[in-house]
Amino acid sequence: MPKRLALLLVTAALGLSGCATKPPASDKEATADFEQTNDPYEPANRFSYRVSDAIDRYSFKPAAEGYVYVVPAPVRTGVHNVLANLSSPVLFADDVSQANPRFAGDTFMRFLINSTAGGLGVFDVASGLGYPAHATSFAVTLALWGVPSGPYLYLPLLGPSSPRDATGFGIDSALDPFTYVPHGYGLKTFNWARYGIALLDVRSRHLADLDAVKKGALDPYATFRSLYRQNLQSQIDASRHDKAATTPAWVAQ
Amino acid sequence: MPMTTTRRSFLMLSNAAAFLLATSALVPVRAQGTQAAGFVRSFADELVSIVNGSQPYATKKAALGPVIDRNVDVPRIARFCLGRFWNTATPEQQAQYTTIFHRVLLNTIAGHLGEYAGVSYVLHGESPQGDNTLVGTSIARANQPTVNVQWVVEGAAGSMKVVDVVAEGTSLRLTQRSDYASFLSRHGDSIPELLSALQRQLDNAG
Repeated sequence: MPKRLALLLVTAALGLSGCATKPPASDKEATADFEQTNDPYEPANRFSYRVSDAIDRYSFKPAAEGYVYVVPAPVRTGVHNVLANLSSPVLFADDVSQANPRFAGDTFMRFLINSTAGGLGVFDVASGLGYPAHATSFAVTLALWGVPSGPYLYLPLLGPSSPRDATGFGIDSALDPFTYVPHGYGLKTFNWARYGIALLDVRSRHLADLDAVKKGALDPYATFRSLYRQNLQSQIDASRHDKAATTPAWVAQ
Repeated sequence: MPMTTTRRSFLMLSNAAAFLLATSALVPVRAQGTQAAGFVRSFADELVSIVNGSQPYATKKAALGPVIDRNVDVPRIARFCLGRFWNTATPEQQAQYTTIFHRVLLNTIAGHLGEYAGVSYVLHGESPQGDNTLVGTSIARANQPTVNVQWVVEGAAGSMKVVDVVAEGTSLRLTQRSDYASFLSRHGDSIPELLSALQRQLDNAG
């Protein structure tokens, strides 16, 4: 299982961990910066980033470039839609755990429409019918439940995370019905193929922007850390505030 | 009955008065917001016409400069990105940094010209954010997922400028500031080191 492998790598990375040196207390601004960055394991994280980046450079990135070169765009979009549709049950559980009926309704209708009219998820018909896609995860749920993020972690191959976000990732994996497919009938093979294609899909959709960050940043590690946090925060905010449509306008807020 | 009629008309009148009050209170806010949206629309239209134009790359890049300068408060963004180090820099370093930052920003935008060919956008509503106004857009490109971009606009009508661009929840200036801050903390808080690193970036970009 890739999850077991990931867990092993996380433990290995934490074993290597050294701590970042805190600036002297007399330097108030530097101390404030250090605390805001919230990355006490920075040396270990940077090591993990370098290893992941090297692996990416020689395997995932060329594989994704090959995928883009060989497979025409409409087919790739179809593949992406199928994968997104397969993750609907998990997304629905996330929406419900965030007490977000509008998002949950969107996810439910998307799964229903795209699995049928969308030809088993190949076409995203639902977006055009007023049920747009949204991104969320159990990490967002935990944040809304008031769980603090904890220090920043760069997990080998999985990328930017934190104890809270890694827990959320684990719960999302546990919520996925496909995690529990029995042996036989080629279902395990299907699962492995799904993980592999999902990797290609995600990486191929971020070829240009990841390159742009690496080229444009003086310190790509710190830039990815900032981007990850801001993006997660925007998902948390979207889930927290975007409930208007389920409440009639005359209800006192 | 006359009594009921009077009461009804009184009610209607007071409703109308309340409505008028409410709308008159709303009008200045709306006008401000619409102006910010109009400003972003004209800026975005200028950008789109350059990006989608048939001119060679060099011409497009040259045309980009004045449009950015007219619509974006580059010195202000530059200062924000240096964070607390702005105050520790000498006036000469501040000036040198602002000049380099300006060129880096232009280069970065020009570097994306090719991949944005055929771009189109949809303007959404606007909302206040402190002293600024947020204007929402979604940007569409062929075979790419649509990106939600918010423009942070500052200033009164006539002198509006963009001070930040937030793409899918990630702010350009915040990201840039954390990049510089991290670089500085790993290079002994040395502004000259930052300036030479930025200069190297420019030289590599050509």
